Amino acid sequence: MTEGVQISFSDEARERIRAFIEDDPVDGLAVRVSVQNASPVAPQYEMALIESHEREDCDLLLDGGGFDVVVDPESAKILDGTRIDWVDSLQGAGFQFDNPNLKPLGSEPLEGPLVDRIRRVIDERINPGVATHGGRVRLVDVRDDIVYVQMGGGCQGCGMASVTLTQGIKQLIKEAAPEILDVRDVTDHAAGDNPYFTSAK
Amino acid sequence: MTDPDRILLLITSASYRAGAFLEAAGRLGVAVTVGSDHRNALGDEAPDSTIALDFEDVEASRAVVERLHGRRRLAAVVAAEDDGVVLAATLAAALGLRGNTVEAVTCCRHKDRFRAALSSLDVPSPRFLVADAGEDPEALATRIEFPCVIKPVSMSASRGVIRADDPEEFVRAFRESARVARGSAERGGGTGTPPRPGPGHDAGAWLLVESYIPGDEVALEGLLIDGALRTLAILDKPDPLTGPYFEETMFVAPSRHPDLLQREIVDTVSRVANHIGLREGPVHAELRLDETGVWPIEIAPRTIGGQCARLFEVRTGTALEELVLLHALGRRVPDPVARRASGALMIPIPRSGVFRGLDGVHEARAVAGIEDVTLTVHPGQRIETLPRGNRYLGFVFARGPGPEDVEAALRAAHRRLRVRIEDG
Repeated sequence: MTEGVQISFSDEARERIRAFIEDDPVDGLAVRVSVQNASPVAPQYEMALIESHEREDCDLLLDGGGFDVVVDPESAKILDGTRIDWVDSLQGAGFQFDNPNLKPLGSEPLEGPLVDRIRRVIDERINPGVATHGGRVRLVDVRDDIVYVQMGGGCQGCGMASVTLTQGIKQLIKEAAPEILDVRDVTDHAAGDNPYFTSAK
Repeated sequence: MTDPDRILLLITSASYRAGAFLEAAGRLGVAVTVGSDHRNALGDEAPDSTIALDFEDVEASRAVVERLHGRRRLAAVVAAEDDGVVLAATLAAALGLRGNTVEAVTCCRHKDRFRAALSSLDVPSPRFLVADAGEDPEALATRIEFPCVIKPVSMSASRGVIRADDPEEFVRAFRESARVARGSAERGGGTGTPPRPGPGHDAGAWLLVESYIPGDEVALEGLLIDGALRTLAILDKPDPLTGPYFEETMFVAPSRHPDLLQREIVDTVSRVANHIGLREGPVHAELRLDETGVWPIEIAPRTIGGQCARLFEVRTGTALEELVLLHALGRRVPDPVARRASGALMIPIPRSGVFRGLDGVHEARAVAGIEDVTLTVHPGQRIETLPRGNRYLGFVFARGPGPEDVEAALRAAHRRLRVRIEDG
């Protein structure tokens, strides 16, 4: 159901988008808003200026208040009710999505036998290991048989974090809880300031 | 239920490529043992998921892997980057698996051997000489033609590569390149082979001095299957690479060079690979183009470096790493169809110092055609420009209907990025 989809913009966001459109020499640009990843941990949205020939027949066309907003039907289902703002902080400036349909990870208490088993393997087998590299792993959420973890300390930003996740954390959690389908890392690795290994050419 | 095929993936702890290969293996349902130069933090808890290998001590590593093969039968050995190709070839031969010969990959790892090998092939090749980093550059300067390029024989990613147009520049450039080469040699060099024998040699630090070849530079990304080259992409480098340093900033596909020239590029890479004995797996070749023809600069038995392989997935929807793993396992390798143009920008490091942050990422991502902007250094990390620099700041990926759109998007995104660097 995509009729009556509502996406709103703050005044600042609207102003920024208008400026991007005016800066671009191409006429007739619209803003395509889409959901790249509907993961509740780290939802990823995309906003891009598109030309008229890049619109699809099935796209929804919304009024952004001075510019056209183009949304594909799948994204529209997830974006309904979303407010897009522009934020400028020490971490950088950019668009921010407040989406009521994507409940943030870790927003509800974690409890139950499955959570206990996962916590035990993290506490007793994973964290003592990664601690040798100054790292730590925290259980963030368990949803639909998918475990979300966050890596800190020496693991955050580590060039080998994907190896530790895939070849260690994931295997140990699945061993303790075979019903788990996947283990996903929701760490902001770019913010890690003391990684154990750093990538180099 | 039988165990899935298991691959031994060789990755050093400094690799940019671990995540992409592991994700590809996961999508293919392939089991992986990661062989790395450092012990993984969970190595004891998840045995055989990771093993520690000395990439320089090939014989010792072979013994470790043969024991692993006895417990968990390996179907393939794949090196993610240059550092592991000699070990991968050695292991493949020892275990009877698909791979290149040690001689062929060793030739690719040493620019001097590569140049020497090409001297008996009918392809344009610059005049060259090999010098010990400890030699007197002023004496050497009397024996060479200008302009020339000095480069460490066994380093990649333009590190230590410097152009010199006259004897004075040559002396400075030689000393600088020697410092970079010595630094690498002291850390092991990463060639998987011992330094050249001989008295008075400077920790295995050797330099190649060769004629500078003017003209556009391109890269070819391909896959060798039983000796036949399958070209996956010819990548243009739209920014001029004229020196004195050769910082690669951009790759764009498809190439805008004429079809006839592109066929000559493919033919040259195919003949070079065949001549030096490469027969299996990925190849990444760098070539210069001038009015006299196609000049092979180097060919490496690996995929493109950094995170740039992602531009292939942006273009075709298929990850390059999947093709590499499928081929290594002897499975059918699909021929992905290019659906759009794509490109990658390696965010240039404007000056040396301590990295504090990258502003404008959201604005850069908002540029039409931009797929992603990634950061690969962390706040507080020291970064250096070429010729010593050994890191990428980050990457920008773009797609578009044509290569000119992709190039424009990458440049527009780059203009919106502001790198914060402090002295230090």
